[in-house]
Amino acid sequence: MPLIEFQDFSFKYYGADFLALKKVNLTINEGEYVIITGPSGCGKTTLCRTINGLVPQFHRGYIAGNVIVDGMNTREHTVAEMATIAGLVFQQPENQLVTLNVEKEIAFGPENLGVDPVEVRRRVEELISLLDLEHLRDKHPHEMSGGEQQRVAIASTLALKPKILVADEPTSNLDPKSAELILDIISKLNKRDMTVILVEHRLDLVSKDASRIVLMDRGRIVADGSPREILVMDLCQEIGVGVPKATLVYKSLRKRGIDLESVPLTGEELANLVKEAA
Amino acid sequence: MSFLEVFQYTRQDSIIHRLDPRAKLFMAIVSAIVSLIFLEILPLVIILVILIPLLVAAKSLKRWLRSMKGLSILLAFILVFNTLLSPAPNPLNHSIALTLRLIALMTSFSLFFLTVHPDELSQALIQMRVRFEFAFAMSMAMRYVPTLAQEAYAIMDAQKARGVELDKGNPLKRIRNIVPIIVPLIIVSIRRALSIAESMESRGFGASPHRTYLNRLSFKKRDWAVVFISLLILLMTIYIRLFIPLQVWSLPF
Repeated sequence: MPLIEFQDFSFKYYGADFLALKKVNLTINEGEYVIITGPSGCGKTTLCRTINGLVPQFHRGYIAGNVIVDGMNTREHTVAEMATIAGLVFQQPENQLVTLNVEKEIAFGPENLGVDPVEVRRRVEELISLLDLEHLRDKHPHEMSGGEQQRVAIASTLALKPKILVADEPTSNLDPKSAELILDIISKLNKRDMTVILVEHRLDLVSKDASRIVLMDRGRIVADGSPREILVMDLCQEIGVGVPKATLVYKSLRKRGIDLESVPLTGEELANLVKEAA
Repeated sequence: MSFLEVFQYTRQDSIIHRLDPRAKLFMAIVSAIVSLIFLEILPLVIILVILIPLLVAAKSLKRWLRSMKGLSILLAFILVFNTLLSPAPNPLNHSIALTLRLIALMTSFSLFFLTVHPDELSQALIQMRVRFEFAFAMSMAMRYVPTLAQEAYAIMDAQKARGVELDKGNPLKRIRNIVPIIVPLIIVSIRRALSIAESMESRGFGASPHRTYLNRLSFKKRDWAVVFISLLILLMTIYIRLFIPLQVWSLPF
């Protein structure tokens, strides 16, 4: 059984005059690393909110179709019930930190669900060491950099032990170095058997780790497949997706009649392919 | 506003900081009541003589002195005007006592706020049967004050860049100048509130009626000792006030 299943799902926010999602069909299996990308306003954020039930439980509106996550229909379960299945990380790190220090922040979720304090303490310590937050332990969120805040936000989401991590442009407000660190953490989590759904524009940083790319435009899924299949499509440039430079070079080489053996996603891969071909 | 510093938590490691906030709250209330019971110079001086070593124990004397310096103008004001205008039999005496009372009151509460982390305060409130939502709202206010201040500065800069002259004109115009700051600030804050709510909702806020807490406060022997001593002092002062006629300890003018 797939972990996440969208069945002809459409959604219109209350008061909006267009559909945010139009007849979306999507299945995601356990252990996948799915990147969702597309121009702004194409429904990526709505898709993320749908996975943990924020749509339709928190954001009301017109719904058609169903979303089944881990056997639960999001229409029938509260966001809190979904919290231990799908954890969401949002764009603005500072809006996700609601307490006055890191320990409390990580403990916030499990405390809300009434987890035993001993177990809460164990999770806090585990996540502090996993995400290297020891030096931030007593800090006020205001004293941390954006990258540090986002790391704490990820830790506090993981504290609920979700099966799925959904990250909605977690790096859009960060400098390149912190962004790389966050993306690195996310891909490591995927290697530890977590299903990851990541909304991201910097495909050059993430497509090498991903198992699948879903391309969205105007509320619809327009392409869905492995990174190497999707990124060579001309559609990517048409709707304005940031295709990695290496892949672009591959494409223009092919246009001039030089066909490399496989599609490169990083500069390194490209260099190796070119060496082999020469 | 530097005198408000004395009500701001300072991260220190001292005996006073380690006390249970509930014990400290009781102590602060008792010392405030005691300073309100007396309006004679000597007992108020005695109260201060007791409170100041506690401040030293909390490693916060410097901060207290700085705040008192900031407050000195107000204190001088009280002193001068009461002496000149008070109908009391010896006005200087009366106004010195009033000034001392203000200092004693501020010191009592500053001892509490200087040494209680906002988190501990909200935990104390929760364990005193205040509903979690209310206690949490308070700690969240603390959390977002600096963020909002930063946002206000950003909006001010943006409006200045568009030619709004914030610090020009007569007082009335200056008040009107606040409008282009406050309106965007409110809108931005409402949006932020929505996104915070989303994040809290995603982490199960309010889901379980039996919420647990990572760090629960527990009363130790020393906390009981503080409560006991404070209670003793309270009873003693009430007894003195009611049954022992105080001698006239006032200054001879």
